[in-house]
Amino acid sequence: MTAYQRDLEKIDRDLESLEQPVGTEQTVRRVCRLYQRAALTARLDEFAAAEAALAEGFAKVGPWADLCLVKANLAMKFHRLGEAKRALGMAPGLAKSFPGRVVLADIDMQEGRYKQAREACEAMIAEDRTWDNLARLAYWESKFGEMTEAERIYLEAEDELTAKEMRGYTWVELQLGLLDLRAGRYQDAEEHYRRAGAAYTGYWLVDDHMAELLGTVGKYEEAIRLYERVLEETPRPELQQAFGELYVAMGEPRAAEVWFDRALEGFLKASDNGGVHYYHHLVDFYSDVRQDAPRAVEWALKDCELRTNYATQAALGWALFRNGRFRKAEEMMDQALASGVRDAHLFAKAATVKAAAGQAVAFDALSRRAFALNPHHDGFHVHRA
Amino acid sequence: MADHNDPNAVNSAFSDVDVSAADLYDLFGFPSADTAGGEKVVIALTMASVPNTGVFDSDMLYRVRMSAAPRATWPGGEEESLDTLLKYFGAVKEKYFGALHSAEIRVTVDAGGQAHLAFLRFPGGDFNLSIATNQVQTTETPNGHSIKAYIGGREEGFFNDLPGFFRSINYAPQYYNVPHSMTEARELPIPKTLLELEGNDLFNFDPATPQWGKTMKKDLPPGPWTWKGDKFKKDADGNFRFVYDGEDARAGKNCNALIFEIPLSFITEDTAKNRIVNTWGESWVLKAAHKVEAIPDEPFWHQHPWALLDGSASDAQLKQYKLVDTDGLPFADAALSEREDNRQLGANNFWLAPHFIKRLAHLGWGFGPSITALGLKTCFDHDNSPVSVLKTYSTAVEAFPRTKKTLFQKLNMPDNSWNPKGMDIPLRRPFEIFVPNVCAIDMDTTGTWPFGRRPEDQVATRFLALFLDMDAELNGKRYNVDTLGDQALWNSAPIVPKTPPNPLKNDKEFLDRFPYLAEPW
Repeated sequence: MTAYQRDLEKIDRDLESLEQPVGTEQTVRRVCRLYQRAALTARLDEFAAAEAALAEGFAKVGPWADLCLVKANLAMKFHRLGEAKRALGMAPGLAKSFPGRVVLADIDMQEGRYKQAREACEAMIAEDRTWDNLARLAYWESKFGEMTEAERIYLEAEDELTAKEMRGYTWVELQLGLLDLRAGRYQDAEEHYRRAGAAYTGYWLVDDHMAELLGTVGKYEEAIRLYERVLEETPRPELQQAFGELYVAMGEPRAAEVWFDRALEGFLKASDNGGVHYYHHLVDFYSDVRQDAPRAVEWALKDCELRTNYATQAALGWALFRNGRFRKAEEMMDQALASGVRDAHLFAKAATVKAAAGQAVAFDALSRRAFALNPHHDGFHVHRA
Repeated sequence: MADHNDPNAVNSAFSDVDVSAADLYDLFGFPSADTAGGEKVVIALTMASVPNTGVFDSDMLYRVRMSAAPRATWPGGEEESLDTLLKYFGAVKEKYFGALHSAEIRVTVDAGGQAHLAFLRFPGGDFNLSIATNQVQTTETPNGHSIKAYIGGREEGFFNDLPGFFRSINYAPQYYNVPHSMTEARELPIPKTLLELEGNDLFNFDPATPQWGKTMKKDLPPGPWTWKGDKFKKDADGNFRFVYDGEDARAGKNCNALIFEIPLSFITEDTAKNRIVNTWGESWVLKAAHKVEAIPDEPFWHQHPWALLDGSASDAQLKQYKLVDTDGLPFADAALSEREDNRQLGANNFWLAPHFIKRLAHLGWGFGPSITALGLKTCFDHDNSPVSVLKTYSTAVEAFPRTKKTLFQKLNMPDNSWNPKGMDIPLRRPFEIFVPNVCAIDMDTTGTWPFGRRPEDQVATRFLALFLDMDAELNGKRYNVDTLGDQALWNSAPIVPKTPPNPLKNDKEFLDRFPYLAEPW
């Protein structure tokens, strides 16, 4: 049995004993277990089950602080930032509590208040040096191009993790691997991914990362096997899109279409049900996978309205570019670049937009910057938000 | 894909905190009655029996640390002031407790149940030992000493009314479902007290739910969690209501234990001079990165059996672990350090000295008036307050005058049995006991608390005795560390239930021979 299966089994055992929860403690524990299971599998149906249990929990015990915190975290996973803020306000003192402040820092990041996000993170680390907040700070550094610093802080985060937190360790190893992957250091990335897999066996998230790496270096057959395994465990539309893109990279567009169809169906179904978390993926899908520029712009505007950050600005800029509205596209790209974020894909897309707008010098500078960060940025890669 | 740099998904703030093998329970230490071949000291470190009684977690490393030293005494004639007190702490620190000076027994247990012990920095040199668990083992050291060791499951030797103690300090998580995020709802801002407060509905005994705080909890009501009353609660007969009921909250439970009987001459070459064995325990958990390295290899000990003979290598080994818990004195953590993670400093708790003074004053304002109300004398200066008071201090300077006597008074013993040799050994004083956070075993005594700690010592009740005025008398006898354990006192006191605060003995008889703690249930 893998570590991943053992964790699921443990959660399931708890859930069995909590089928008919009595009182606040059991009600809260049941919701937490369902949320933990969903976070582990990342299956959308399990998140829905957790959300339903959460609603039942509120009806039964009212705005209990831990329930509010689950609600806030769940909302964050699905880009419902307003709901996350409201959830923190439901229980007195929750927004000022340590876990509440963690969520608020994440909201700052999502809403493009990068400086505040960093300051909040640093303050929390000074208060309590937890691995997850160190990882947040490392992520911040990586977004702003400080890769050496990011790596150093991720390693500090690892040093805080014990043998009882192997899943957390695996997660940090995956982030370290991503830093290497994005810089074109494939062997180093593979080493991190292998350590991640050894630390927490059977985890689909490791396979997902490894599949991306294998696709990047052209080991397509192995990548396919991994993707199939991942999708069996967690059939999320963004993973289906990634699998389709792998087939495109392999020169098999017909095989890709099957997965693109499934991905699009999943994105649209979620949006039809009121979900906002796939807006970003829809922009990407209509911009690059099946080019439909007006639709891409439409989804991009919705996403920007929801959360204005460098990623949504760049996505809108790119959609506008696809739509032939170069001046507006350039304007959005400038806003994204003004964030200070240093990302190879951002620079590469901005370069293309600049070229279309006739800004040859800017095109050249941005292309060089993209290349400097990752010489292979235009190869197969997964869109990780 | 949408994982959004969201490690909270992994480290959920909402999970329950499982019982952990890192949770140290108690440290016992006393001179062995067996003096054949020379004096020996018994040291027992107990911890949660996780994963099972007698089965150890192979990710854990435990350290039993010890340092022999002469008996420390307060320099005679010096003023009993805060300044001299802090200087004393500094001097003791410099003299005895440099982290590198202490010897230790380092213990890990592998997945096969074999215990691996490293004896480090003892005068006779370092050596390693592997022994079976759950059996008494006698080993000859390289320099000819005989050491007894038991690494295994035992009956939990702590006997105390834990819910009563938590009620006395208004510790909400014992009585209420408290959301993890609400760190402000731990010790609620209500006066600490030994007697129930009139109208303290948040903690007073509820006859409708007698198991409240023991086997069941209530939901924490919305705040403010305050108390507006001005007197202790009394029943129709004029009796106060005790916050304790004397039940053993740990009855029927087991623990895991590391128990040693070690010749004093193995610990120190100068056994005539170094009569105090200061000891404390630590739990460390393997860091994740090193767990990966160990998969699927054998543990470090097996791969590098001689590495521990080299001091630098052993420290390299320790770098693979993370310190979780320390244990020296009973109640140093629960009562004084407030269980905070960053106060797990063991012997090196000197920097907490000012905090201890403030905390002692805070507790004194709660317990002092309770003691007075019972007609007893307290050493704490509470301005004759008729009821417990909620008071906190921001500086030790402000708190010190209130606690001066509590800190400096000599703790009387119930009789002379603690000093079987009739030696001129000064009675111990609280400031000497709590800083540093070690069990200081006086080899010329029986090792009963505070001259060590014997399994049969009722340390929870003795802790409360710190707040008694040791100059006072009861029925012609000086107050002493066991006064509050005297049933006669409670029989005549205006209080219900008429019981000492904690049980007088363990629920299972201790053994009169090694390993002393009883067989597990």
